[in-house]
Amino acid sequence: MATTTNSLTLTSTDLFEDSLSISNTSTCYKAGTTIGLDQTTGLKKTYLTATTQIDLFTVMDATNAAENGKVYIANLSEDVEEYITIAIGDAVIGRLYAGDFMWMPYSPKLHLSSDIELTPSVATGMWFEYMCIHNFSAIDPVAIDTRIYADE
Amino acid sequence: MATINATINVSSSDLTSSPLALSKTMTMTKAGLSTGLEFTSGLVRRKLTATTKIDLVTVGAQMYGTPTASKANKLYIKNTGSSSVDYVEIAIGDKAGGSPEAAEELLGTAGDSFITLGKLFGGDWMLIPFEGTANNDILVTPSTAEVTTIEWMLFFE
Repeated sequence: MATTTNSLTLTSTDLFEDSLSISNTSTCYKAGTTIGLDQTTGLKKTYLTATTQIDLFTVMDATNAAENGKVYIANLSEDVEEYITIAIGDAVIGRLYAGDFMWMPYSPKLHLSSDIELTPSVATGMWFEYMCIHNFSAIDPVAIDTRIYADE
Repeated sequence: MATINATINVSSSDLTSSPLALSKTMTMTKAGLSTGLEFTSGLVRRKLTATTKIDLVTVGAQMYGTPTASKANKLYIKNTGSSSVDYVEIAIGDKAGGSPEAAEELLGTAGDSFITLGKLFGGDWMLIPFEGTANNDILVTPSTAEVTTIEWMLFFE
């Protein structure tokens, strides 16, 4: 096992009349245990020059549905107008603008529909980085899949 | 405008053969601008006592305002418990109000479909962008009918 800690601080002195200060620290455990997650994709840094949607993390094994992975994605652009759209399958999670990051749990349930996907807003080149910490049986970034939509 | 800062640190001395030490700070700004987000739901605290799937954060007009879709909105959620066994499952989609409950599937254009993101065990937190378009509610399902307390906060424009 490994010990991986993650923490978040959220602060603002002028969002409210009073200050906002949220602080959390937790450890990345395997689902239902206090045993640390022991695999990672490593922190990857990628430069994309097209607005084509790509898969960051594809679901290789549905047995991972019960697991408790963690996903980190950051948009490294410095142009405030540039963003990346993050989706899981057909569901758009949201946009990460320049400098934004996200951290979320990941329990991939279904082939294709649980893939985590990224779409740059511009084709002029954008840097971003991402990482998954997990104990999945398999995970690997590949080109986007051809999928059959339920309503087609 | 307001200045809202979020800092994440992820570290491990033994996950890989070389230490991991990731640190990143972002200032929550409006889409395409360098001015800060200025609206929020406030820090919401809810106690859940059933394993029923609920809409935690719904899109559209709310008591705290109307988040604009497809912007730079951010959503924070924490399971305030301490259990390493009990969790809340987080999904994105529309409330599964049918009977029997709709099966998880590719997100449809109408209600009763959802895609699971993952699980928050006791103490776990998440910070994600919030799209806010139709059928993109954030749903939670506790794993236990024992009291599960979660906190969430939406920052939006």
